[in-house]
Amino acid sequence: MSSVLIKNESRLGLKLVAPAVGIIGLLVIYPILFNLYLSFFDVQLNGSKTFVGLDNYTELLGNPRYYHSIGVSIIYLIGTVVGTTVLGLAAAILMNQTFRFRNLARGLILLPYFAPVISVVFGWQFIFDPVNGIYNHVVVDVLHLTNERENLIGNPDSALFVVILFDIWKHFPIAYLLFLAKLQSVPKDLYEAAAIDGQNPWGRFWHVTLPELKFVIATVVLLRVIWNLNRFEDVYLLAPNVETLPIFTYYQAFAGIVDQGAAAAISVIQLLVLVGLIWLYVRKVLKW
Amino acid sequence: MMNKRTPLQSVILYALVLALVIFCVFPFLQILSTSLKHPIDWGNPSLIPRILHLDAYKELLGLMPPKEIDVPASIQRLLDNPALSAEKKQMLLAKFSSGGDVFPFGRYMLNTFVISFITGICSTFLASLAAYAIARLRFPAQSLMANGVLFVYMVGGVLLMVPLYQMSVNVGLASSAGGTIFSLFLIYLIQTLPVAMYMLGNYFRTIPFSLEEAAMMDGCSRVEAFWRIIMPLSKPMLFTVFIYCFVIAWNEYLFASVFLKQYQDFQTLPLALQTLFTSKNAIWDRIMAASMLTLLPVVICFMLANKHLSGGLTDGGVKG
Repeated sequence: MSSVLIKNESRLGLKLVAPAVGIIGLLVIYPILFNLYLSFFDVQLNGSKTFVGLDNYTELLGNPRYYHSIGVSIIYLIGTVVGTTVLGLAAAILMNQTFRFRNLARGLILLPYFAPVISVVFGWQFIFDPVNGIYNHVVVDVLHLTNERENLIGNPDSALFVVILFDIWKHFPIAYLLFLAKLQSVPKDLYEAAAIDGQNPWGRFWHVTLPELKFVIATVVLLRVIWNLNRFEDVYLLAPNVETLPIFTYYQAFAGIVDQGAAAAISVIQLLVLVGLIWLYVRKVLKW
Repeated sequence: MMNKRTPLQSVILYALVLALVIFCVFPFLQILSTSLKHPIDWGNPSLIPRILHLDAYKELLGLMPPKEIDVPASIQRLLDNPALSAEKKQMLLAKFSSGGDVFPFGRYMLNTFVISFITGICSTFLASLAAYAIARLRFPAQSLMANGVLFVYMVGGVLLMVPLYQMSVNVGLASSAGGTIFSLFLIYLIQTLPVAMYMLGNYFRTIPFSLEEAAMMDGCSRVEAFWRIIMPLSKPMLFTVFIYCFVIAWNEYLFASVFLKQYQDFQTLPLALQTLFTSKNAIWDRIMAASMLTLLPVVICFMLANKHLSGGLTDGGVKG
């Protein structure tokens, strides 16, 4: 190709990416830097700021609520990541079998993933409603496990587990899709060879399926951690009393005694952790 | 050899599939069932309502007959006075009608639809330009941009809410309703652009380059080749990406709550539903009916786009 053509091509390329990259630069990259700047100020909702140096950070590191929310976030992350990965893998193996109505079943189990959070949280709230909910009906009236109806979502400790279950329900389909795509590409002869070697289904899972899926499992786990570190709506709308990091940040920034500088400081620290995880993802999991 | 199942294995398989499907679908059935139940029926654990109760839907869709307005006799005499202008009479009547009590569901739905639709169109369009460039053209900083897209998509909205809010305050957009909606639109654009670029980029790479080459040999310019060959070929994927962006905007709550709190007339469904739920007690039927109506467009979109959506999401596995 002549140099004129190359020049024309690169000019066109830049022209085409300019609008998208411009918007992303203005509304993602710049805000990240602006956030760092804001974290050194006392910031009001109306935009007025006073420089306070590192005060936001020192106050934050001395705030027990911050550590509490980190703890809640860690439990949330472990529960949801393990749950979605295991259920997603199980569902993928199940849906990889041949049976009647398989396409219907495959479509139905994707529903939770696509449904608007705002709609389904009300369904879940009703299920765990202390007065009308089916959960209390089954536990108290049918199984007689306890005598008193409990408000699982009202109590932050138990609500954390409802929120974890909700996240597993809502997000295992994406893990399932990733696993299923990979499972379908595992050569059949590998299973046949393993069967001839005398492996039972469990052995075939252990010696063929898992090693083949290793890479996808790592992808799913890391992506779940990255996404759930910032998960806001699924937690806040179902149980606003479960204070994971994003919810703690939201309360700092927009509710009660507003302290946007502190919220900015939390975001800066969280972003550093996130960048580390993304780096790990790009380096180890995604080979560009 | 492995395809043959004993009857017991078949039973276990179907039982497991059924259990999984019920687990996934049950909350939806619960929403549907409660939306159709009369309040006296809420405590009934069965999913099937004893009596079909459609009032909640009727009320949300504005099909309820207007309530009789109780007007005190003295006011009625004022209203009968021909000297009073029609406008004044309306104002007087409004004070006694319970119009403020009605949840303007249609309005919220329209708000949500408009902003989601515009977001979907703009995002798909801008993303297709950028994705084509990244997938097909050589230009400086190309791989940096390809990787940057992925990074940007993983930075969640929570990390950006403070700076974005402060930026819109500083620029003055947050002080008017129009400016606020514009800010929100821009924010939805950046929440959808990276994933749209990623999905379209992957798709464009699967189209054989020889097609464009042939077109360019026939005298098309690069831009014409893109516009006349690549875009029409990508229609199903463009539609899928549009739906995906539409649904992201349709579902968004965090930024809507930050920006639209004081502009009640312009609120979107997620925010309005949350406000309705927290402001009043025991209105399960209306909440569930509203949830059902919010859910429906998404489920329809999802059915339309399902085939490509599953593939588009898993190629490279970005969204979680």
